[in-house]
Amino acid sequence: MIRIYLIVFLFFALLGSQALAKTTVEWWQFWTDPSVKPTIQAIVDDFEKAYPDIEVKLTDLTWANGHEKIVIAFASGAGPDVLELGSDWIAQFAVAGHLRDLSDNLSADSNQYQGYSMATYDGRLYAKPWILGTRVLFANRDLLNQAGFEPDYLPVTLDHFKAATLRVSKLNGVYGWGSNTAEKHRLYKKYLPFFWTKGAQVFSDDGRYCVLSSDLAIQALQLYKDLHDSCGYVASQRGIEDAFLEGKIGFILSGDWLLKRIELEKREINFVTTLFPGLKFPGRSFMGGEFLAVNAASKNSEAAIKLIDFVTSAQAQVRFCKANRSANPSSKQAQQDEYFQSNPHLQTFVKQLSLSNHPPVDPDWVNIETIIEEAVEEALFGSGRPAEALRQARQKITDLKHR
Amino acid sequence: MVVRRNIRFELLRYSVLGLILVVMSYPLVWMLRISLMDVTGSVAVSGWLSGGLTFANYVDLLTQVGLGRYLFNSALVGLCVTAGNILFCFMTGYGLARFRMLSNKLLFASVIVVLMIPVHIIIIPLYVLMMKAGLYDSYWALILPFLVNPIGIFLVKQYVETIPPSMEEAARMDGAGDLRILFAVVMPLCRPALAVLAIQVFFTNWNSFLFPFILTSSDDLRTLPVALAMLQGHQAIDWPHLMAGSTIAVLPVLIVFVLLQRQIVSGITAGAVKQ
Amino acid sequence: MRQSRASSLVLSLPWIVTFVLFWLFPLLYSLVMGFTDYRLLAPEFDWVGWSNYRELFADDDFLAALKNTFVFVLGTIPVTTVIALVLALLVSGGFKGRALFRAGYFLPSVTAMVVIALIFTNLYQRGGYVALLVQLAGLTPPEHGFLFDRATALYSIMAMDVWMSVGYYMLIFLAGLKAIPNELYEAAVLTGAGWWRSFRSITLPLLKPVALFIIMINSIKSFQVFVEVFVMTKGKFDTATAVYFIYEQGLQTEFRFGYASAAAYVLFVVIALFSIVQFILLRRRQALW
Repeated sequence: MIRIYLIVFLFFALLGSQALAKTTVEWWQFWTDPSVKPTIQAIVDDFEKAYPDIEVKLTDLTWANGHEKIVIAFASGAGPDVLELGSDWIAQFAVAGHLRDLSDNLSADSNQYQGYSMATYDGRLYAKPWILGTRVLFANRDLLNQAGFEPDYLPVTLDHFKAATLRVSKLNGVYGWGSNTAEKHRLYKKYLPFFWTKGAQVFSDDGRYCVLSSDLAIQALQLYKDLHDSCGYVASQRGIEDAFLEGKIGFILSGDWLLKRIELEKREINFVTTLFPGLKFPGRSFMGGEFLAVNAASKNSEAAIKLIDFVTSAQAQVRFCKANRSANPSSKQAQQDEYFQSNPHLQTFVKQLSLSNHPPVDPDWVNIETIIEEAVEEALFGSGRPAEALRQARQKITDLKHR
Repeated sequence: MVVRRNIRFELLRYSVLGLILVVMSYPLVWMLRISLMDVTGSVAVSGWLSGGLTFANYVDLLTQVGLGRYLFNSALVGLCVTAGNILFCFMTGYGLARFRMLSNKLLFASVIVVLMIPVHIIIIPLYVLMMKAGLYDSYWALILPFLVNPIGIFLVKQYVETIPPSMEEAARMDGAGDLRILFAVVMPLCRPALAVLAIQVFFTNWNSFLFPFILTSSDDLRTLPVALAMLQGHQAIDWPHLMAGSTIAVLPVLIVFVLLQRQIVSGITAGAVKQ
Repeated sequence: MRQSRASSLVLSLPWIVTFVLFWLFPLLYSLVMGFTDYRLLAPEFDWVGWSNYRELFADDDFLAALKNTFVFVLGTIPVTTVIALVLALLVSGGFKGRALFRAGYFLPSVTAMVVIALIFTNLYQRGGYVALLVQLAGLTPPEHGFLFDRATALYSIMAMDVWMSVGYYMLIFLAGLKAIPNELYEAAVLTGAGWWRSFRSITLPLLKPVALFIIMINSIKSFQVFVEVFVMTKGKFDTATAVYFIYEQGLQTEFRFGYASAAAYVLFVVIALFSIVQFILLRRRQALW
């Protein structure tokens, strides 16, 4: 008799312990500053409520050094279950076999999200797009008025844009264009819109040749250099933004964080946002973003994927974007939210994202990006010869690829 | 005549010192100013008078960001490491100074070698070590590798070499044992060096970023420099909060320095070097 | 002095344990890696012998980084040491308010380097405080800011480094100054020696060991300058230093850890040689007792 009770007791105890046995998913993410971290924590708390048998261990990474921590962990055979990765790092990690192939898990909703092309390498999907980003043209309306333009004038072609910058720079103490100095991982994002708008490409369509020094590319760099030389306020990104917010610059290319800054710092500046100008309207801007990937060595991949799906769900994304003043959620459903639809600046960003190119998904991209950046620096701050700089860069990239 | 010259001399002295003080402390005073700004303040040259005066940034850090916990972690780790270093560096530094064997010369070489390798190269194997030993993401990872600091050993060795062995020999002739000589005779003589060592070790550890960042993951174990780094946003720096955090990080310095500086400059007793 | 091997061993035990447990494996690991083509994210790698070292000496970026590092070391060490000594002399007296001045001079050296680098990035920017000062002195500051001009970037970082370090070395000099017995000075005064005479004959010689220590420690640290470059310029405008090169090669871009390890050991040899030369040139017999 007692033996039966014992067996029944043990059976239920085991059942109970299974229910109590939680799966722990470790997530490494970058959004740590006090304005947005509480929202991340809240999203994680909601996830744990929705899935009581999954516990999330959240680890914060700094933007400056976070990628090193990821690389060191993976190199040592450790690493989180879920990690946030910038779009330019995905191919490198995928090629090394560190990211789980998510093609089967995510293909179902691929048309509900923007940005999947940045996470696709060799036909397989390695990450889910989360928060995307692009660059739009910010213009100082007051300066445009002072320069004699009509009250709602905005340049739509590159030629008009160049003329507008020159005209604004004729005002006293004012510069027409904010031109970035040599800053790592920033300068190339300012050049590439010109590059792509002119029709140039880094690689040929079949991907076999580097065509960085095509005539179109040289023209684009020449245009960029002309802007820089004739009316450029040359400083770091922060310096350019500071000067723009103080009314010293007519046009700058910037991302949605500038909107956050203007709002949080209560800046009084009469500014407008518009799409990047093109040959005929509109041009192609730069697209990148933050993605969520699963460690190939993760033992909790199911729970990890559930976390990813939850965090990238429309409501979670809208919540995040509101806290961070982000303009480009990857979820198309989120993009339809009232929050984005009612704000003209956010609308510009949403539209621009559809009119943006992203860099090729290439494991060597970080290296190629550095080479392109050095070419632009050479043309702006060094020898001053765009054609030569681009040709040298093309040679370096070709050598790199044939290694 | 003498009085007037003295006043002129004093005036000159204080003006020179004061001018240097302005140059040395200006960036830090500016840091303090920004920490008291509200969000509308500007960090440009013209910004001194903008942004008002508020303690809100400090309050935010202690309440919203939970800086108190991180201060505690840094203090705990710092005190453990400093205490360990005072004891261990003193022992080893003394040994290397007084015992002139070949093995000690090699040992000293190992001390110097560790100083000469950049930390980025060491961090990966150290990370692997910590993982294998199960110490990753624990206080031990922040304390154990740093209990004996090469610079500390170097400092003590250098200092002990300038102390004549006469006092130790005298104590030995009086029948004192090794331990007594070490801790009752030599250690007090080394007070200035040990004070410098304590300051050096405590503040290197207090400001250490890379090792705590890589060797721990939990929020509970986060130290102050890592917490401050997290205040930096993706594309923008939250200057007021960051500067407030930095000012908080600097306050213990003032306290510890005022407490210890007399140790350094009170000097060793004249009796130690009287012949 | 008993030459007891056992006593010596016991005394050195803390370091021996720490070294063997935590530092020996990493040092050997990276030494070995310097002879491979190990990349951090790739699982397989091959032995390549001296090929990394050969490539390093043909690598313009590495050579430029070494050059910048030497400029940095040779430019900052003498300046820092002299200023630290001057400051120590100034505050060594027993005058009122000395604690304030000592604390004020010392504070920068214990503030986090990242914070100082950020503050100075702001001070050095176009139209910033330093630019204003330079203009007041009648010169023209670089147009884009001090950190974004090849002619001034590295020197700006060096100036900041000197500012930041003098306090700590001042403290060490202070300790050294106080160790000089007053009787020597009193004797000098009795023989009619002026301030400069006693400085040259008493202070300087007795401070030599301290100065040597400071110069050696400062050199070893300065050869590894990294944080300032990382925060302020990311190596642009000819500011890349050796450790920044190592960081970039090993933990960024292509994650060439093997190559970076080789570079680290080249730097190690450079530092070691430099220290040995320093030691030989600057050390004299301690004529103390």
